[in-house]
Amino acid sequence: MTPITTSTPPLASLRAVTKTVVTGLRRRRVTILKGVDLTVGRGDVVGLVGPNGAGKTTTVKVLLGLMRPTTGEVDLAVEGLGDVGYLPENPYFYDYLSGREFLAFCGRLFGMGGRAAEERATELLADVGLTDAAGVHLRKYSKGMLQRIGIAQALVNDPQLVLLDEPMTGLDPIGRLEVKGIIQRLHDQGRTVLFNSHILADVEELCTGIAVMKAGRIVWAGTVERALAESPDGLEPFFMRVVGGDGASAPEATP
Amino acid sequence: MTQVAAIALNTFRETVRDRVLTVIALFALLMIVAGLWLGSISLEQGGRMMKDFGLVAVTAFGVIIAAFIAATLVRKEVEKRTVFVLFSKPVSRGGFVVGKFLGLAATLGVVVGGMGLFLFLMTLAVGGGASGMVLVATALIYLQVLTVVAVVVFFSTITSAILSSMLGLGVFVAGQLSHNVLSLSRIGAGAVTEAASWVVFVLIPNFSAVDVKAAAVGEQTVDWGAVALWGVYLVAYMTVALIGAAFVMRRKEF
Repeated sequence: MTPITTSTPPLASLRAVTKTVVTGLRRRRVTILKGVDLTVGRGDVVGLVGPNGAGKTTTVKVLLGLMRPTTGEVDLAVEGLGDVGYLPENPYFYDYLSGREFLAFCGRLFGMGGRAAEERATELLADVGLTDAAGVHLRKYSKGMLQRIGIAQALVNDPQLVLLDEPMTGLDPIGRLEVKGIIQRLHDQGRTVLFNSHILADVEELCTGIAVMKAGRIVWAGTVERALAESPDGLEPFFMRVVGGDGASAPEATP
Repeated sequence: MTQVAAIALNTFRETVRDRVLTVIALFALLMIVAGLWLGSISLEQGGRMMKDFGLVAVTAFGVIIAAFIAATLVRKEVEKRTVFVLFSKPVSRGGFVVGKFLGLAATLGVVVGGMGLFLFLMTLAVGGGASGMVLVATALIYLQVLTVVAVVVFFSTITSAILSSMLGLGVFVAGQLSHNVLSLSRIGAGAVTEAASWVVFVLIPNFSAVDVKAAAVGEQTVDWGAVALWGVYLVAYMTVALIGAAFVMRRKEF
C-alpha cells in the first residue's frame, strides 16, 4: 500500500485493486487498473495525476462503487455514500431543471426534507457564485457554470470525503480561483479531498499529497513536500521523470 | 423513500416539461374532438361514436406516449451520464427504477386522466348519454398503459431505446390478442400445443380482459369479478417487470 501521509488515519484506501473490462464486439479484455494501492489520510487534499488513460477516473469510480473491482479491496472509513461528494468529469446535469431545483433535488437524494434542501441549495449557490443564475435552467449554463454547479452538488451533504474529477476543466481564471478557494476551504474544515487533475500547478498549490498514476498503477505517492524535495524545480519535471518522459500510457490488452 | 419520491418528482418534471409530450397530448385532444364530428355524420349514433372513437384515441396516445417516453427514461440517464450524480449518492438501483416508473406514472395519470375527463365532459356537453363508464374505461386504460411502461422500462435496461419502444408496443398489441392464443389451442391441437399456448398466454399480459371500451359504449356487459382479477394480474406483471429492471440495473457498472 502507498500511503500519502503517515500522520493521519486512513479515510479511503485501495489495496491491490485491479479492474478488467470486456469491450467491443470481439469481447476484448482490457485491464484498466493493474493493482492500485493507495491510502488517503483523513484531512488530506490529494492530487491524483497521470497521463490520459492512466486509470484516474476508473480509480475514483471504483472508490465510489460505480465500478466493482475485479480483484482487491476498497475501504472507505465513512458512513457510506451519504458522507461522500463526487464531481464527475465533464459533468452533464438535467437541463430542464434550474440550478436551485437541481441542488434541492440532490439534497433530497441525501434524505433532506423539502425546506432543508431548498435552504442548502441557496447556501451552495452563494458559495459557488451562482445566486444570480439560481432560477435559470441548466441548459442555458455555460461550461464553467455547469462545473461550478457540479461542485455545489458534490457538497450538498457536507461530506467528509470529496472526490473531484478534473474540477478545473472549462473554468475561466475567476472560476478557477473560486474552485481553488472552495478546495482550500474544505481543507481548512478538515475535509478529505481527492481530485484528478492535469494541472500540476494546482496540485502544488492546493494539495498536501500527490499520487502519480501510469498505465493502471500508482507509480509514486507521497507528500507534495517530498516530491518538491526530490525535484526543487517544481512538480512538472518531477512528473515527467516519474512517468518516464513522454507521459504516454494506455491500458494494456490482455489475451 | 425520500430518494424514490425525489426521483419520481424529478421524472415528472422532466416529462411534463418535454414539449413533445405537450404536442402529442394536444393532438390527442384534437382526435377526441374529431370524434364529435364523426358522431355528427353518423345516424343517431353520435354519442356512441364519439365515446368509442374517443376511448380508442385515449388508448392509442396513452400507449404511444408510454412506449416512447419510458424507453428513454433510464437510457437517457445512462447516456448523458447523469447516473454518476445519482449513484454516487445513497440511491439504490431499485429505488431509481421505481422512482422513474412512478414519475412517468404520475405524468401519464395527468395525460390519460385529462383525456378521459375531457371525453367525459364532451359527452355531457353534447348529450350523448354520458356515463361514468367512460371514466372507468379510462382508469382501466391507464392500468394497461402503466403495464406497458413497466415492460418498456425493463427492456430499456437491456437494449436500445428504439427497440425497447418497439418491444413495448409489440407486447401491447400481443396483449390485445392473447386470449385468441388460448382459444386457438383448444381447437384440438394436442396437449403440447395447449401447454405452450398457456405459457404464451401467461407471459403476455392479457390487456383485452380489462378492456371495457365496448361496455362503455353500451355494447357489452362486464364481468367485474374477472376484470378485478385480471387487474391484479397486471399489477403483479408490472411488479415483476420492475424487479427485473432493478436486477439488471444492480449488475450494471458505469
